[in-house]
Amino acid sequence: MAKTLASQARDGGSIPLARSSQVPVPRIETQDLAIARGGRVVLRSIDLAVGAGEVTAVVGPSGTGKSSLLRCLVRLDEPAGGRVLVDGRDAAELDPCALRRRVGLVTQAPVMLEGDVRANLAYGLDSPAPAALEEALAATGLDPSFMDRTARELSGGEAARVALARALTRDPCALLLDEPTAALDSAAAESILALVRSLAARGLGILIVTHEAQAARVADARLEVGA
Amino acid sequence: MTQIAVAAALVVLAIVLSRASGLGVERDLAISAVRAAVQLAAVGAVVTLVFEHAGLAAAFVAVMLGTATLTSARRLRGIPDAPLRAGAAIAAGAAIGLAPMLLTGAFSTTPRELIPIAGILIGGAMVATSVTGRGIAERVRADLAAIETRLALGVPVRVALAGGVRGAATTGLIPLLDQTKNAGLVTLPGTFVGLVLGGASPAEAARVQLTVLLALLAVEVVAALTVARLVVTGLTAPGERVLPPR
Repeated sequence: MAKTLASQARDGGSIPLARSSQVPVPRIETQDLAIARGGRVVLRSIDLAVGAGEVTAVVGPSGTGKSSLLRCLVRLDEPAGGRVLVDGRDAAELDPCALRRRVGLVTQAPVMLEGDVRANLAYGLDSPAPAALEEALAATGLDPSFMDRTARELSGGEAARVALARALTRDPCALLLDEPTAALDSAAAESILALVRSLAARGLGILIVTHEAQAARVADARLEVGA
Repeated sequence: MTQIAVAAALVVLAIVLSRASGLGVERDLAISAVRAAVQLAAVGAVVTLVFEHAGLAAAFVAVMLGTATLTSARRLRGIPDAPLRAGAAIAAGAAIGLAPMLLTGAFSTTPRELIPIAGILIGGAMVATSVTGRGIAERVRADLAAIETRLALGVPVRVALAGGVRGAATTGLIPLLDQTKNAGLVTLPGTFVGLVLGGASPAEAARVQLTVLLALLAVEVVAALTVARLVVTGLTAPGERVLPPR
């Protein structure tokens, strides 16, 4: 699979994809990563470094293995080769559950679990503080009245925000966003992208995979695949 | 002979209704009826012999266990090592019911008592194993996106599958729970009917039926929980990942 590395700033300037001197340990780093799907290697030699406060976009057409890449980063699938480092530690040596709390994956069409938004935010947590849940919700631009809404009745844009808030309740160091704007109208997409920048400003490392130029625009660096 | 003829006519009615309504189970109905006829005829002949030889009785129980295992394993298709998992669950469930019955002398180990009680308990364990195991597999196939969402939120596979496991096990136990709750009011269970027709007093038949129904509650709960645990283990890959049934 051909891979083109094109590190670009949002304003068109060139920003190296590799680790910068201000960020000694990237939130997420891949070294010579290879991704297979259905027994065939679809991505190879992927070297990424997403630092704290940075947004990196992996851009390419549908079917090039971008979603599989994200799944491998949180070990929902195993890579065909190479290494994933999270905060400098080999992901293969981390407890998978702890890894998935440190690196939040938000899928293209986020699945809302049964119950209300509060139950979704608290899922899998031991006695979460109500204030922590409200803080996560507020960070995604939703007010506390959403807590009692039935999660599966939310609009696409609302569900995308709740999915982000749900990942934030685990105190992650990084977020992986799969086509975060694909199912949204233009206004909702702009709103989500602004939210992505604000989350990065909190120190999260954010990796977006997308086939849309609009979503890639917010990235500090980009990696093109399947071109 | 009249009894068999009337019952066979009812099977034909069921097949006609299935055909007319598009239910599509005509073949299953016919095969089930023919199999039951052949098997019961054979059992009628064999049991007379088995009742007189303890060694043959043990072999007969083993055959019942093996057949139940293969029947459940077919329902668990797509789950790795389905026969092993089904067999272990059925054996565990049946043993929980059978061991105290025999050890306390509630039922004797003579073939005449061992074979019927073992058959009922193995049958109950088989139903609970099939329904629970198959239910979990179907739920994993249907809800894979939600299950992986839960995994991505940092819970282990057993927690991500907990809702589906609970639902499948509950579904597997509903028939027995309803039968037990309504015993004597809505249905007269088979053991009771058989004993009364065989000449036992209604009071004696009720006592044996109650014993069987209560034992089955434990048998089916143990079989359902065992197969649930074994199926979840079979669908769990290293790294807290779920392997969808093939």
